[in-house]
Formats: sequence, C-alpha cells, structure tokens
Amino acid sequence: MSLTLQSARTGDMLPEHRFGPITRTTLALYAGASGDHNSIHIDIDYARAAGMDDVFAHGMLTMSQLGRLVSDWAGQPNVVALSSRFTAITPVGATLTCTGEITDRFEKDAAYFLRLRLSATIDDGTQTAKGDALIRVS
Amino acid sequence: MGIFDRSTTGHITAPVTVTLERGAMIFFAETIGETDPIYLDPTAAHAAGHPDILAPLTYIAVIGTEAGKTAHRLGQTDFLDLIRADLRVLLHGNENYSYHGPLYAGDTVDVRTEIVGFVDAKGGQLEIAKIRQTMTHPERGLVVDIKRDLIHRLSHEAAA
Repeated sequence: MSLTLQSARTGDMLPEHRFGPITRTTLALYAGASGDHNSIHIDIDYARAAGMDDVFAHGMLTMSQLGRLVSDWAGQPNVVALSSRFTAITPVGATLTCTGEITDRFEKDAAYFLRLRLSATIDDGTQTAKGDALIRVS
Repeated sequence: MGIFDRSTTGHITAPVTVTLERGAMIFFAETIGETDPIYLDPTAAHAAGHPDILAPLTYIAVIGTEAGKTAHRLGQTDFLDLIRADLRVLLHGNENYSYHGPLYAGDTVDVRTEIVGFVDAKGGQLEIAKIRQTMTHPERGLVVDIKRDLIHRLSHEAAA
C-alpha cells in the first residue's frame, strides 16, 4: 500500500526521487529559467579564475528537487514550510537522490501536521543538502 | 577579514513589485523536471481548482532574484550589491520558506528584503550573511516568509 498523508507515521519513508545526471546543459537552462546568472555555475573560465576546478550546480536546483519530492507526495497546497541547508557542492555529472522521512506527526489548532526530514545525496554518497518540510494533513 | 559590508545590518530595502509571468513559470517548471500539469497547463490548473498555473515551491527564489533585477532597473540597490556580495566566492548556505498561501501566474507581489546580520564561521574561513525576505500580495497579504544564509568562502579550503 502506498504511503498517504493519512497513513504516514514517524519513521515512514517517502517514495525516493531521482534527478540527473546534471549536465552543463541542465545548469545553463537552470540559470536561464531561474534568473540566477551567476557565472560560477555556467562559465568554467570564470569558475577556474575563482579558484574552483569546474562549475558546480546551483544549490537551488537541488532544493527544487527536494520541493518536487515533497509536493509530488503531499500535494503543494498542503506544504506549510520547506527548508534546505546546502552541505556540499554538487558537481557536473551528478545524479541526485532525494529522500524524505516522517520524523513527527502532531496535532495543533485542530489540524494534523507531519514533519519530514529531507536529504539529497549524489552518486558517491556525499550528502549535498539536508532539509525539512512541514505538511498540513487536514 | 570579511568582504560583506556589515554596516548594512538592519537595513530593509524599498519594496519591489514583481509580477509572476506564466511563460517564465512554465520554463522553470520544465527545467526542474515538473510533470504535474498544474505547473504547466492553465487548463489543467483550472480543472484542479486553481485560477492559473501554480508556482512550484522553490519558484520563490526566482521571484526574489527578479526583485533584485527589477531594483537594478529602477536605479535602486539590489541587496546583493548592498551587502557587497562577491559572486566569485559566494555560496548558498541555506534557504527556508514558510508558506502562507499559494502563488499563481499573473499574481503581483511586493518583495521586501531585510539584512538581518552577519556572523563568522569555521574560524574565519567563512562569513555568513543572514537575509530575510517577505512577499506580500495586495489582497491576500503575506504569502511567504523567507530566511536565507549566503556565505563567502574566505579561503580555498573552505570551498566545500
């Protein structure tokens, strides 16, 4: 049986979400679509001059996938809060694996809420983002 | 030695008005791989009870960036310029959204940015700017409250 807002309990895991591989084209498109034109993500010459080996993905591209993980499962109108802390750089070529775990279910002001712990990791297991979400069940 | 202009602590920028454009929202939704038609197709969004396509959860950051560009066009100072962010060494530390209601294509919001303060981390290898933004709809009021940490890496070892 698939996990629903009503059936979810502490310790349950959301269906895993994967995104990638993140190519240079992905980064170019994300720069255009997000309006974040910071050259560090799209221009290798600029990145090298700034002391990096290569361009790297926008943190918000990773958070967008944590957002998809949560909204696909919970339905966006039920999402009360979403946060992400970026813990490592996401290199070109990485595929993101996004996971979510129910860490709490509580009642407040006559409504039920679920608290989720979110994580994004890349192929070698490095965690690139940690996150949290709060969902209103009813 | 930091780069951020710490004298800007407490500064609140003039509100900037941004209108959510449907085409730009669809481009964003497609780029992040959205397949749910409530983000892509006005007819499907209507059928699902929405007045127009819905802004994805992280489209908030796009509106924030657009607010900065709009400020520039109006001859005002974008908060990134205000705090003297150096894009060569700028990293995104974290991003937090508290949603008070949905945003749709065609909506207009007022974006306000507050420079909350600055802290040092990792023995001075990093400095962090703490930013707060709010987006307010003229009829629906506050739609999202945003907290954001932006980081300068002050040594190469601090890159990751």
